[in-house]
Amino acid sequence: MIKLRLKFSKNGPIKFIGHLDVMRYFQKAIRRANIDIKYSEGFSPHQLLSFAQPLSVGATSDGEYLDMTVNSMTSTKDIMDSLNEVMNEGIKIEAVTELPEKEEKAMTLSYAAGYRIKFRQSLKPDFDWITELDNYLSRDKLPTMKKTKSGEKEINMKEMIFNYSLDRNKEEATFLLAMSSSATLKPALLFETFFKDLGKELAQGALDIHRLDIYRSGTDDNGLYIEPFIPASENERVYING
Amino acid sequence: MNYNLALSDETLLGIEKPERYIGNEVNSVTKDKDAVDIRFAFCFPDVYEIGMSHLGIQILYGLFNSYEDVWCERVYSPWMDMDRLMRKDHIPLFALESQDPVKEFDFLGFTLQYEMCYTNILQVLDLSGIPFMSGERTWDDPVVIGGGPCTYNPEPIADFFDLFYIGEGETRYRQLFDMYKEARKEGISRQEFLHRCAKVPGMYVPSLYKVEYNEDWTVSSIEPVVDDIPKVIEKEMCTDLSSAFYPTKPVVPYIKVTQDRVVLEIMRGCIRGCRFCQAGQLYKPLREKDVEHLKELAIEALNNTGYEEISLSSLSSSDYSKLPELLDFLIESCKDKKVNISLPSLRIDAFSLDVMSKVQDVKKSSLTFAPEAGTQRMRDVINKGLTEEDILKGSHDAFLGGWNKVKLYFMLGLPTETDEDIYGIGDIANKVAKEYFETVPKENRNGRSIDIVASTSFFVPKPFTPFQWAPMNTKEEFLEKANKTRKGIMSQLNQKHIKYNWHEADASMMEGIFARGDRRLAPVILKAYEKGCIYDAWSEYFKFDVWMETFKECGVDPFFYTTRERSDDEIFPWDILNCGVTKKFLLREWHNALEGKPSTNCRKGCLGCGAAAYGVGVCLESKNND
Repeated sequence: MIKLRLKFSKNGPIKFIGHLDVMRYFQKAIRRANIDIKYSEGFSPHQLLSFAQPLSVGATSDGEYLDMTVNSMTSTKDIMDSLNEVMNEGIKIEAVTELPEKEEKAMTLSYAAGYRIKFRQSLKPDFDWITELDNYLSRDKLPTMKKTKSGEKEINMKEMIFNYSLDRNKEEATFLLAMSSSATLKPALLFETFFKDLGKELAQGALDIHRLDIYRSGTDDNGLYIEPFIPASENERVYING
Repeated sequence: MNYNLALSDETLLGIEKPERYIGNEVNSVTKDKDAVDIRFAFCFPDVYEIGMSHLGIQILYGLFNSYEDVWCERVYSPWMDMDRLMRKDHIPLFALESQDPVKEFDFLGFTLQYEMCYTNILQVLDLSGIPFMSGERTWDDPVVIGGGPCTYNPEPIADFFDLFYIGEGETRYRQLFDMYKEARKEGISRQEFLHRCAKVPGMYVPSLYKVEYNEDWTVSSIEPVVDDIPKVIEKEMCTDLSSAFYPTKPVVPYIKVTQDRVVLEIMRGCIRGCRFCQAGQLYKPLREKDVEHLKELAIEALNNTGYEEISLSSLSSSDYSKLPELLDFLIESCKDKKVNISLPSLRIDAFSLDVMSKVQDVKKSSLTFAPEAGTQRMRDVINKGLTEEDILKGSHDAFLGGWNKVKLYFMLGLPTETDEDIYGIGDIANKVAKEYFETVPKENRNGRSIDIVASTSFFVPKPFTPFQWAPMNTKEEFLEKANKTRKGIMSQLNQKHIKYNWHEADASMMEGIFARGDRRLAPVILKAYEKGCIYDAWSEYFKFDVWMETFKECGVDPFFYTTRERSDDEIFPWDILNCGVTKKFLLREWHNALEGKPSTNCRKGCLGCGAAAYGVGVCLESKNND
């Protein structure tokens, strides 16, 4: 029994495929690729497969994760290649890594997500949103109401923004936002609140959201850091609250 | 992957299920449009999830795309939200693969699976910018061709089609494509091309036939307007199914659709001569596929799709002679990948119960019986060879095996039906419940009990069946019968274990009008569409009142098509077609029905229906007339 974590990207028209359908897509792709995946026991067995975090419909991503358990495999590279061979172009496995036996699910471990936000051409704001956003984000507190299972509660978004940068030339904003079981800030909520603060309304589908990666947390000599689940290099650690 | 979608991101994010419109599914076919000669848009005129579940399109999609010079793409009816948006923003209807407008295609093919899709055909033409009437189209429009079961009486929609393909699609399309290429190269007129098509077997060009009517509104004659085309169009039939094309790389949708599994067609046709059933006559004679071939197809299709379920498809799977061998193979080879096997249309007996217990969760699955009628007399009339004894014996065995859910299907409004037949439905349901209590002692029930669902649909007489002469009930009669059925069930001892469902009568009436309708219905359909009738197959959109009002405005009596008893020698609008069984045979069966005489099945003896002329399938088997 081997636990694996896969990183995949989601681009192009496939961004309109919702989370549940992406799960169904993977279940079929795994069968097509003849991966020796482990199934649960019982009369209706299912593949042992779990996704880190859902991505909203219409958003693209370079860093999605899923964990799976296989009975056997040749190599992680073989898993990656055989899946990519049966995948649609829009979803591509970028990396596969073997996990320690006791590793918790990516869903449990995720701590933050990186986003690049732009506006879709036809729904671009008619004001200098970069400057306004810069002002807005520099406030000490950014309160908003967040919908929960039991109703609504006030949260402070400021605590959930680990860092950000604004690019005036490219007209885009980059964020590192909290995404864990205890605190999650979705870019849509941030922008909705920001617009409301300006007395404006954010049009449906206006945001072009691209997820850059999903991060876990850790500590080393320099303090609390976050890094992608499968870092491309060692220097991808971002220190927070330090 | 096609990144150039017809709809903007903003549009797609503002509608329900954008996945319906983006194409790019696994196994969808993309070609270079400049490298093909023929672009074929294949439409199932209903919403994506329904259309994607249809086997026929998958077969022809695969077949057409296997031709190097043809690119076949799919089109479905845009859902209501998209429909509104397309009209508002003047977005032309597009095909899923290329996302190009349908109007640019060489062919627009419709598969016509049920009568209630007729207004959706007009929606697709409308949104594509193609004139509704065949006669108004030019070479700037695709050739509009129809196929599928409803083309066995295409008269109500004949004006909207350039061409109908009568029969099974595997045989004549290649020839049609070559003729089209030649016609375009020669530069002949569209009408001349259709004229040439009309000489090809199976091709019905409605504009080349003239229908005359009697004063009593019945048809007096149907004649070709040119003398070099057939007087009667013979259906096309695939004589060797095992060597015919079958798709092993069907398109796999992203969203959950109605039929979300590999569908393996094991045979075509049926030996049972149920007199209400149109499919049973249209696909005669029964032709089985080679079992070794089916095994290969199953494995290939599962590997190419990754589906977690495979379903056997046929009109009566229990009649497939190599069924045990096929099922053993499937059970064995589906084990590793945990693929489920679903077995619709199996007769409940010891064999099927054994198989079902291997492939299904007995606690969750239910047994299905389709007695169709409540008494043996009525079942003899409709020639449904299922006795009460069969049902009770099957139930008994199943209850011993752990099943406790039973579904029973019936029809109301069958010819010669009496109150006794209607109340018989409650009797059967009650007897099944009683069988459970007698078979399973209280201590073995583990807190469970018997759970019966009895459903009735309203009988709609269809062309090319022995009941094509039969009068159909009115809406009021139907509802009264449903009421009696409900009362009959309520009066039973075990009534609290029986749930009763019935269909709506309005939709059945509409279906009945179109099923045996003629060309004088086209203006009604067009007008109803213009008044907003669309998605009539969906009860939430079906506007019965608007339809009735439209009939009145058009001066057409809808009851002429439904409740009227037809005389033996009446010329029917669909007599222009030959479905392979003779009218003489159907009439004989109609008289047998009225006398309550059942007929044998094709394996036991030949009834001389006419299909033996094809010289294939069950007609070649030796008969076991005992």
